Amino acid sequence: MTIQFKPDETFREDFTYSNSDAAVLRFPFPFPEDVYMYSVNIEPHVPGGPTPAFDNPFDVDEHYVAECRERAKVLEQDPSRCKVLPHMMAAQWDTLELIMESFAASYPAHFTLTREGTNWTWENRPLGIRDSFVFGDASTLPLPPFEYITRQAQGDFTLQDQREDNLFVDGGMVTTQADWSMDFNVGMTFHQWHGPVPLAHEKGVFDRALKFLLRLQFGAPVRRLNWTMTVNPRLDTSPENYPQWGPDRTTLTADNIGAKLHLRVELQSLFRLPRSNAILFGIRCYLCSIEDLARVEVWGKRLHRVLRDLHPDIADYKGTTRYRDLAVAYLAAFDDGAALPSGTAPRQATLPPKG
Amino acid sequence: MLISNIKSRPVYERLRLDGAGRRHLVVSDAPRDLPEVIDGVESAGGLLGYWMVASTATVDGQPQTASAGGNAGEVETRAFRAVSHLMDRLTHRLAQESVGFRLYAIGEEGFIWEIARLAREAGLESYECQTAHAGSMRRKVFCVHCKTITSGVTTSLVACDGCGAHLVVRDHFSRTHAAFMGVLADAEAPGDLPPVEELFP
Repeated sequence: MTIQFKPDETFREDFTYSNSDAAVLRFPFPFPEDVYMYSVNIEPHVPGGPTPAFDNPFDVDEHYVAECRERAKVLEQDPSRCKVLPHMMAAQWDTLELIMESFAASYPAHFTLTREGTNWTWENRPLGIRDSFVFGDASTLPLPPFEYITRQAQGDFTLQDQREDNLFVDGGMVTTQADWSMDFNVGMTFHQWHGPVPLAHEKGVFDRALKFLLRLQFGAPVRRLNWTMTVNPRLDTSPENYPQWGPDRTTLTADNIGAKLHLRVELQSLFRLPRSNAILFGIRCYLCSIEDLARVEVWGKRLHRVLRDLHPDIADYKGTTRYRDLAVAYLAAFDDGAALPSGTAPRQATLPPKG
Repeated sequence: MLISNIKSRPVYERLRLDGAGRRHLVVSDAPRDLPEVIDGVESAGGLLGYWMVASTATVDGQPQTASAGGNAGEVETRAFRAVSHLMDRLTHRLAQESVGFRLYAIGEEGFIWEIARLAREAGLESYECQTAHAGSMRRKVFCVHCKTITSGVTTSLVACDGCGAHLVVRDHFSRTHAAFMGVLADAEAPGDLPPVEELFP
C-alpha cells in the first residue's frame, strides 16, 4: 500500500495541517463509553482494532513527512528534546532495529531494510534517506542510533531502564508532547514522572500499571490510548514553549472553535527490548478538529457527553478550563441524546461534506 | 494551576544508620547534634564521620575526634566554612570510596539533593545515600522555559533569575536537577497573575 503524503502541511504559524476524510475515519477515537475516568486501559498491541490506525506496530499515515520535518525544526531550536543517558546504548540499538524492521515489514513500498550480518542498509524513500552502517557501531551512523531512527518516525519515544523493581525514564525523543518536559523528567521513576496526574494515584492506577509493565515480555507489546485537547493543530505543546502556545487558549470563539479546537489522542505502545531489557514507550500523537470529529455521528455525540461530564480535576489538568463550556455548547448541536453503543469504531464508511 | 499533591515531591523519613554499611558519613548544612539527626549511631559497626557547615571562615575543615557514646567507636567530625567548601571536600572523598560506604544528608532540599547528585555521579546506588529534610522549606526552582535555576524561593510565585518570567512553583520535583519545576504563570493572559503566597518558609 502506498500512502499519499502531504509533505508541506505545517503544525505552527499558518497551521496548514488537515485530515483527509480517510484520515478522519481512521482516527483512534478514545472514548468507548459516555463517561471518562482514568483506568489501566492496557490491551495487547496486536494488529487490528476499531480503525486502521491499530494495524501496525508503528503507524505511518499521510502526515508522516510533514511530522518528521516538524520534529527537525524543534530539534534545531532545542536539541535537548532528545536526551539519552549514557548507559542506554544497547536500548538505542534495540530501538533502531525494532522500528526499521517494523517499518520495512508494514510499508515495503516506502521502507527497505537489508541485513547481511551486521552490515545493514536502510532506505527511507519518503524522506530520501539511504544509509549503510554497521549494526552496533555508532560511528557508522550520522547520528546516535536512537536519535537517527526516531527522527524518521511519527510520535514521541521514551526509553525506560528497569532496575530496583522500578522503571526509570533514562532517555527520550520528545517533540510532540502534551505539556511534559523530557529535560526536566529525565532519570525519574515511574511514579515520579506521573507525579502531576490527578486522581489516578489515589485510584492505584500507577501501582497496578507499574507492576504490569515490570513483567512486560519481549514479543508481546501492549498499548493504551490517552487524550487531551489542543488549540490549533500544534504538535509542539511542550512546557518549554508554553509562553508561545498558552495564549492560543484565549483565541477560541463560538465561530472558530469547531475548526481550531482539536482532540489530541496518544496511541501509546510499550515494547520490551531484547538486548537491554529496557522498555520502549511510543507516544504517537493524532490531532483531529472537533468539527471533523462531529462528521462521524457516534463520535460527535460521545465527545459532547464526555466533555460535558468530565471530572473538574481532569478538565483542569488537561488545560480545558477556559474553553470547555464553549466546546460543550458547540458539540451539543450534534447530540440528540440517543443511546450509543459502546466501543470506538466510526460505524460509517464515508463522511458528510464539511460544514 | 496544579501545584499541590504532586507525587514526585519527596517524602522524608528520619535518617537511620544502615547496619549493612562499613563506613558512614553524615553531612549537614548547619551545625546540629548528631543524635538529633540520625538514629542508630550507638550501634554503628564501622567508621563514622560527621561533616557540617558552620557558615564561618573561622573553621578549617580539619578532622576532630570525639566519642559517639554507647558501644560506638569514635566519630570524626569536620566543620566547613560553607556548603561549597563541604561539597568540594566531599567530591574528593567520594572519588576514593568503594563498596560498603553509606552517605546521609540532612538539611534544606537544595542541599540534600545536590549531595544526592554528587553521590549518584560518584557511582553510589540510591540505597547507599539517604536524605532527610531539616531547616527552611525554601526551594530551588528550575525554569522550564530558559533552564535557569532560581534559589531560595519561599513564595508560590517567583520571578525567574534568567528570563524574568513570573513562575508558578509546582510541586513536581526532579532529583536530577535537584529542583522544583517553575512554569510561566500568565502565559494564557499576560499580566493576569495569581496572588503571591508565602508557602515555603
